[in-house]
Amino acid sequence: MLRKRIITVLTLNDGTLFRTKLFKPDYRYTLNFVDAWSVDEIAILDVTRGDHPDRDKFFKAVSEFARTCFVPISVGGGIRKLEDVARYMDAGADKVVINTGAVENPHLIEDIAGAYGQQCVVLSIDAAKTDDGYEVMSHFGAKPTGHDPATWAKYGEALGAGEIMITAVERDGALQGYDLGLCAEVAKAVSVPVQVLGGCGNWQHMTQAFEVPGVSAACTQNIYHFTEQSIASAKKFLAGKGVAVRA
Amino acid sequence: MIGIIDYGLGNLRSVLGAVEKLGQSGVISANPGELSGCEKLILPGVGAFGDGMGNLAARGMIEPLNKLVRLDRKPILGICLGFQLLAETSEEFGAHEGLGWIPGHVKRIRPGTDALRVPHVGWNDFEKAGDCILFDDIPDPALFYFVHSYHLETDPGITVGTCTYGRPLCAAVQSGNVFGTQFHPEKSQQYGLKVLQNFLERA
Repeated sequence: MLRKRIITVLTLNDGTLFRTKLFKPDYRYTLNFVDAWSVDEIAILDVTRGDHPDRDKFFKAVSEFARTCFVPISVGGGIRKLEDVARYMDAGADKVVINTGAVENPHLIEDIAGAYGQQCVVLSIDAAKTDDGYEVMSHFGAKPTGHDPATWAKYGEALGAGEIMITAVERDGALQGYDLGLCAEVAKAVSVPVQVLGGCGNWQHMTQAFEVPGVSAACTQNIYHFTEQSIASAKKFLAGKGVAVRA
Repeated sequence: MIGIIDYGLGNLRSVLGAVEKLGQSGVISANPGELSGCEKLILPGVGAFGDGMGNLAARGMIEPLNKLVRLDRKPILGICLGFQLLAETSEEFGAHEGLGWIPGHVKRIRPGTDALRVPHVGWNDFEKAGDCILFDDIPDPALFYFVHSYHLETDPGITVGTCTYGRPLCAAVQSGNVFGTQFHPEKSQQYGLKVLQNFLERA
């Protein structure tokens, strides 16, 4: 049986591991904290700001990490063209995560899927609450786009996205649980697997996420989930709740 | 020396990293001369079938590879897209011809229920079918990492393992010196590394 996944999300700023809260930098720690044997998959995102950030340090960090990491790695941050994808793939990525680049040019999704296959494209969607629902935000959650997350996800799937990663901007770093309503709305709109991010504070939150139909991965960027054995203990908890996970 | 075939697609470095982790030397190469000096070949792959074959053809690699695999009988391991390219045809984004080293056709995964989504992404149980040195000393079933939207329909006689996603899917083949896995051994931690080690040491 296909197992539900736990994805550890690492955010790097200027080549250094960084944690965010409400999309603002929090504090630093090192890549060595990643519990590499129990984790199912890793996403590494470059959150270096600026119009033309220098990504060389990020590439170096990803390449070094990928060399000794034997689980799948998704890499994202600043992808605007196919050459950016080639560079990430060359650094050791198995998939790429696109967000603002897809908002600016949705056909980027098509181009990547055409060259690398649909399974290579993870469309990341940051959504903020509005008076009457949710709105997709680009540029690190700062810029309203006018898109509805479920509609945008569906369009992204039609263009070739193989997975959707949905993040509730308000839940980022809050540790109060995922926005399950948002997850359900997006997961219902698409037929590709959905990863949920933003707000995971404890293992029960993961259990709740997996109860949402269509959610195949719970992502965490909580520093307390990166210590030795923590993902293993999450899995023990989930298995006890009847969630099919990889031990 | 292990030759990792470079056709411009795929996580070549991850495969090289795994080969080196297992204590062997590898070379990423698109040069038939260099590849012919290697003891074994790996055809990795993350990408679309048509682009994969197109790139192999554009680099003039199909005939040299045919010779190395069919005449010299060099052991080769196809991974994911590389595994699918071993087959006769694929229906991914149009109709394409593959390398044709094994019988079979690559088709869209249709799990038959809305609850199972495509692509098939994640860790799934691999069950052995018959005997193959790739899976020596590996539990049955064992979990491996899969990520694909298409699957190989082939002769049960060369299928050496399956996984189930709505229905059984071919997850590994062996036909003489030609080996292939739909899952990513280089991304499947200890058992994945063991599969690679078996190929490197026993094939």
